[in-house]
Amino acid sequence: MRPENYKPVRHPPSHEYELYFGPNHPGIEGNYAIRVRLKGDVVQEAITDAGYLHRGFEKIMEERLWVQNVALVPRICVPDPVPMEESYARAVETLGGIEVPERAQWIRVLMLEMSRICAHLFTFGGNAATIGLYTNMFWGVTMRDLFLDIFEEITGARIYHMYITPGGVRRDLPDGVLDRLAAVLDELERKKPEFDDLFFENAVVINRATGVGVLTQAQALAWGVTGPNLRACGLAHDVRRDDPYLVYPALKFDIPTATSGCSLARMHVRRAEVEQSVRILRQVMERLRTVGGPVRAHLPNPLAWNVPAGEAYARTESSKGELAFFAVSNGGPKPWRIQVRGPSQMHGVQVLERILEGARIEDVAQIMFSLDACPPEIDR
Amino acid sequence: MSENAGSRNPLQLRDQPETCRTADAEERSAWQRVIGRFADNCRARSLFVLHYCTGCGAIELPPTITSRFDMERVGVSPMVTPRQADILLITGYVALKTLKRVILSYEQMQAPKYVIGFGSCTINGGMYWNSYATIKQLDQYIPTDLFIAGCMPRPEAVQEVFLELMRMIDAGKANAWRDYYRNYDHYLANQQALFGPQWHTPTDIVAEAKHYGLMGPGTTGPHTRLLDQHAEWALDRIPEDYPERGENERSER
Ligand code: SF4
Repeated sequence: MRPENYKPVRHPPSHEYELYFGPNHPGIEGNYAIRVRLKGDVVQEAITDAGYLHRGFEKIMEERLWVQNVALVPRICVPDPVPMEESYARAVETLGGIEVPERAQWIRVLMLEMSRICAHLFTFGGNAATIGLYTNMFWGVTMRDLFLDIFEEITGARIYHMYITPGGVRRDLPDGVLDRLAAVLDELERKKPEFDDLFFENAVVINRATGVGVLTQAQALAWGVTGPNLRACGLAHDVRRDDPYLVYPALKFDIPTATSGCSLARMHVRRAEVEQSVRILRQVMERLRTVGGPVRAHLPNPLAWNVPAGEAYARTESSKGELAFFAVSNGGPKPWRIQVRGPSQMHGVQVLERILEGARIEDVAQIMFSLDACPPEIDR
Repeated sequence: MSENAGSRNPLQLRDQPETCRTADAEERSAWQRVIGRFADNCRARSLFVLHYCTGCGAIELPPTITSRFDMERVGVSPMVTPRQADILLITGYVALKTLKRVILSYEQMQAPKYVIGFGSCTINGGMYWNSYATIKQLDQYIPTDLFIAGCMPRPEAVQEVFLELMRMIDAGKANAWRDYYRNYDHYLANQQALFGPQWHTPTDIVAEAKHYGLMGPGTTGPHTRLLDQHAEWALDRIPEDYPERGENERSER
């Protein structure tokens, strides 16, 4: 019996062939596929095949109350859910004209930066695994688990926190969590030389990742690249600095950049970002010990909350790049339209297809991981 | 002898069910039961999970596999190909496009095979109960042994479900895969309801059921009869200019 889409073809000469890369493949970041046409082991053409994770987010969100959507938004991007909550909450606050209490703003920054570290640690592990270094994978994931424990203590959940709601955060920090977070940060810094040994100073990584998957600055700007991928091309663009939100203007941090735009440069930028996040976290923890007050603004009854009509656009710097929510309200209890601007759509589809051309088959997985696209967010 | 072998149509071998068939339960001797019991016992201690992550649950698998929770110490480890895997772990929501791949992978896996639904999305649609793009109940399309409740379940829950599956295999109770053969028409009906009457897979489940003596009351039915028609339609659909083997040889000469 032949499969539904079976079409007999005349096969081209055997040194030219097509590989279906994924969706069941350990070198793929999620449920996602690429069709690569190869000549020998050089990629001639790559066509991405997304849609395995489509859930119709933007449509579902129109059918739920504004507050119900708080539970839905983190599910857009699994490894880095907090920026989704933050963007959505800020869009709703802009529409409703709600002022977030100061303590809640500091707590939000704490969550955002912890989430960034988690996502970067996960990417390290994945990126190293694609070139055969599984120790990194084990270490990265285990290190990330320490942060997940803190998340669990604060919010009650490891992955999807649903902690940032319009108007503030759900509840205050538990006692002593800042000390435990400080211990985790110390542990991360203590482990840093070992991570460096294993990855950034590893001859295998340097030889495999230098000059692979190069993206020039002009290309990056033309293709809408943001986040660490853009900073690896030498442009210090960061929403936290260029369009500040929450209490970021009060924080001291650098925006790390690299110049070469290759796979390794992108990972170097991520490594430096983890360092900056630790720096931010330490400042935030210090402030949180002194800043008091409520963590939630007063909201109308959430089940009968008619958010005033209008439009709002809220952008956040996520670990993948610039993430934004565009929310339109017609004054009803449910959103009239929600549009998600995710960074992975550009990185995982347009950019990937172009920079894979001319790459070698063994580098495909690595290039894909170094771009750090998030398939659930591409499909939504 | 050589004459005999030459005249024998190799395809006819498949029509002789006596030559190679797993014995029915009644036919099994005490000896076979002992072997079966021993096999179940061994099977329960060496399980391979297919490395295919469908939904957001995929994020909890790396912690489960790696050092902190380390599922290898209970005897479970990941496997990249469906044919060598025992467990199909459906990690969360299944979009229609994914469901096709899930069914293809499931049918490629060799029996005995076990399916675990991970997270509320596989039980009743979970968060996406009103989504147009996902399925709501996994066990309508493939038979499922166990479900893990939660959104998303913790790594401990994943390990617990593996241990429970081992206990079930050990006790000979993890037999959902037989249901796919016995009631294939039911599952196929649901699949066709989603993908249209044209839907069919390269695996011939009915022939497998016949071969292994797993035919049940619901193996064949109106929906499997559609499959037979497809075999004929598929032949019609081959383009005119598709080179027959003979033609190719001729053109080369
Ligand atoms: S049950 Fe929850 S965590 Fe699991 S796939 Fe569904 S929404 Fe995601």
